[in-house]
Amino acid sequence: MASTAPSLTLPPSQFARLQPHAYLLAHLSPPASSNQPSIRANGRAPAQFRVTSANTGSLTHTNGSAVVRVGDTTAVCGVRAEILPTDDIASWSVSHTSSRTTNKRQKLANSDSEEQQEEEDPNDKSHIQDLNLLVPNLSLSTGCAPGFIPGAPPSALAQSLSHQILNLLHSTRLVRAEDLRVWYQPPSLGGESLERHNAEEQMDVDDEGTGKEDDGEKAEVKAFWVLYIDVMIVSLAGNPFDAAWAAVLAALRDTKLPKASWDVDNEIVVCSDKVSEARKLALRGLPVASSFGVFEADAAAGWRAVIVPDAEEERLIEEGARKGIQRRWVLADPDGYEEGLSQERACVVVDKKQGKTVIVKMEKNGGWALDGQALKEVVEISARRWEEVKSILEQC
Amino acid sequence: MSSPLVLLPGDEIPSEYLPSTNSAPLRLGPGLRLLSQPPSSSAPSHVLTATQAGILSTDNKKNAVSILSAPNRRYIPTVNDLVIAQVHHSSPDYFHCMVTPQAPHVVLGQLAFEGATKKTRPMLKQGDLVYARVLSVGLGAGAEVELTCVNPATGKAEPGGLGHLTGGMVFDISNGMAARLMRASSSSADQQDGVAGLVVLDELGKKLEKVGGFEIAVGRNGKVWVDCSNGGDAAVKATVAIGRCLTTVDQHDLSPADQKKLVSRILREMKIEV
Amino acid sequence: MVGPTASLTPLARADGSASYHCPSTGSNILGSVNAPVELPGRRDALKPEDATVEVFVKTGTAPASVGERYVEGIIRGVVGRLILGRERGYARRGVVITLAIVGGESVGRADSHLTLLPALLHTALLALLSASVPLSMTFSATVLSVDASGKITREPSAEVAAAAKSIHVLAFTSKGHLLLNESEGAFDFDTWEKVRQRASAICHGTSTVGADGDIAMVEDADGQPLEGTIRETVEDQVHRDYAWKIDAA
Repeated sequence: MASTAPSLTLPPSQFARLQPHAYLLAHLSPPASSNQPSIRANGRAPAQFRVTSANTGSLTHTNGSAVVRVGDTTAVCGVRAEILPTDDIASWSVSHTSSRTTNKRQKLANSDSEEQQEEEDPNDKSHIQDLNLLVPNLSLSTGCAPGFIPGAPPSALAQSLSHQILNLLHSTRLVRAEDLRVWYQPPSLGGESLERHNAEEQMDVDDEGTGKEDDGEKAEVKAFWVLYIDVMIVSLAGNPFDAAWAAVLAALRDTKLPKASWDVDNEIVVCSDKVSEARKLALRGLPVASSFGVFEADAAAGWRAVIVPDAEEERLIEEGARKGIQRRWVLADPDGYEEGLSQERACVVVDKKQGKTVIVKMEKNGGWALDGQALKEVVEISARRWEEVKSILEQC
Repeated sequence: MSSPLVLLPGDEIPSEYLPSTNSAPLRLGPGLRLLSQPPSSSAPSHVLTATQAGILSTDNKKNAVSILSAPNRRYIPTVNDLVIAQVHHSSPDYFHCMVTPQAPHVVLGQLAFEGATKKTRPMLKQGDLVYARVLSVGLGAGAEVELTCVNPATGKAEPGGLGHLTGGMVFDISNGMAARLMRASSSSADQQDGVAGLVVLDELGKKLEKVGGFEIAVGRNGKVWVDCSNGGDAAVKATVAIGRCLTTVDQHDLSPADQKKLVSRILREMKIEV
Repeated sequence: MVGPTASLTPLARADGSASYHCPSTGSNILGSVNAPVELPGRRDALKPEDATVEVFVKTGTAPASVGERYVEGIIRGVVGRLILGRERGYARRGVVITLAIVGGESVGRADSHLTLLPALLHTALLALLSASVPLSMTFSATVLSVDASGKITREPSAEVAAAAKSIHVLAFTSKGHLLLNESEGAFDFDTWEKVRQRASAICHGTSTVGADGDIAMVEDADGQPLEGTIRETVEDQVHRDYAWKIDAA
């Protein structure tokens, strides 16, 4: 009996390892006859994000914490608040004639609407940025993915993610500087002042504000809260930024700062240990990050030397191809496998204000597939994702 | 030829610039590549595009086209280049030599000299100079470059002059200049303007006949060795003068007329009788 | 407006180098490229069939920060797509790009590096050209800021950028593709499309299609397109290098 040739069929998992590109391509472009929709190797539709879950307050000795899980990518974020007395800021007395400017600011705040104040607080940006009141740090811990070796210095990826988080915290002005200030009202009003100050923040009561101006004594910033925002990627399966940013956002929403006041006699900041007196941060908006990868059908593009069509020609080809064969797919929330196969990446951070989508950050790099129309679609997908993440964060 | 065509990466080469006289297939030199239309589009055609910035250079005789890119780059050994290497240390089988200061040492076989046997091999010391040909460049990381001073097929030093360089002096010049000097010296220099815009060697040769002429070896690695051993008293002066002429021409990109002036000026300054 | 100035191959020892000065943002960059070089064997860095691109950005006056790692990543993404790392002699080797910020406003720890990015990208490109690293095409990049009233400023100074509502860096390939977009600050998509149009005009020059289908080149306030500036810089250098050949011909 003739020996049968050894079978050349491979289980899907091995095929995926040997021919990753062909494997994903076969999933995304099923034969026309099969009438199947285009689907990714992980079973998601191209614009579908992974299942996301969030949990807050799981770390007990932080001021706020969150665990966010996007598929198999898990980020843990803890926010720790520390007091930075203004006496310790070397340049404080020189650069900030604090009391006067703050009074001016308060006048402004009282006369204008809340919205206005939000827009133009001149000290806000400079205080948070100049004094480094927000200190995010991201670490990709050993073992989160096979490539991470113990004892290695922070990888370029970790450093660049830290910077992205810091940048986004600043550019979205998510945290109000006012929340981080510890005020001191000289004795004529006594201990009430701080309370009043807080009340003013919340309700914007007019007569209290005017009363304050009359008293002649100036409230003084005595200290700042510094927020150390540490993110740890416990498990990395692609797209670390979305998970890290969602974790930061959830942790900041969870953060409670104890009531702090200036003790004149001892010249120290005293914090109240009553939970009821602690207050939450009032964040500006809810920016949500969505990342995308672009998968190109032609795996050999780098090998085979073909003419790259001009942008104009490309547009025509693209239109023509819309009916026929698709050449590239924009994959939302790529996992580790897909990230390895896509050179071009995009990341969009959107927020919604009064139902209107506001883009707060949009970047794309590494290729030329995403332009005009395609980017617009990406923004629309991100806007839909915003709703999703919002409900997840509100539930936790 | 009108003003030369300067191309940037991605630029297509206009077909009128391509040599069309010959029916032989077109030969592509460095800096060019042939691209084909992606399969999806209708027009089946090929275009040539540049991958480096430089001047388009065509050779009608060989039906070749290439890009002349930035000439003064670091020297990267290529097979058959003639180089001037300096012995760094020796091991039982090889001399380990330095071709460029920033690259790892290259090896030169102890027996890779004309007429060398186990007993008659040259005893080169550290710092000695050799004029050698690149025999092979390895592939991949840690690959060794091997030099030879002999043609393995014939056992002769081909072209003549390969081997130990005794006496003389080495001057550093740019790689672009080294290439020009090689072209100038390899072709019969009967032309009025010299080859590759260089008349400095011809001029020096004429003027230094009285001191007994000189020897010169040009390495593609940006080194030139000069010797005037016949010159007697003026030998050292003449050697230095030649070196100065070459390096000045290199640094200031002198035109042929200026080169002639420079040669006269330097020889006068150094009080060499002509 | 005063366009940027650049020169090729100012450094003699590197394979390729370029210096670039942009008067409007005040940035002054010196870049060098070494390629192909042997890299120390690292399991994550060496691809079997492709060159590895490494980018290092060094600050001039400011202390080093993680921001540079981020910028390095962006530059690597852009040039990595254009370098033909599979050409002969490049596979398994490295292309090392080092960019030093030698002048201009220093960028603080928290500041965005976006205003510097086009200058860094142009320096990297010119240095690659000077080193004759094979590229599939070239690109040009610009930075635009949009203030609260919607006014678009080209290559803003540090003060203008600090006051801006959003900042956008866009890079276009020489074939007109959008190669890079980095936008920061609040804006909507319509604003971005305007920014894109303006950036494209700055990089490529404007070509407006008239009502009758004619394509007219319009010289606008932006003067010479950046692409032309890059081309001229390279042409100048090539003419200088091959003066002996060109004059003789």
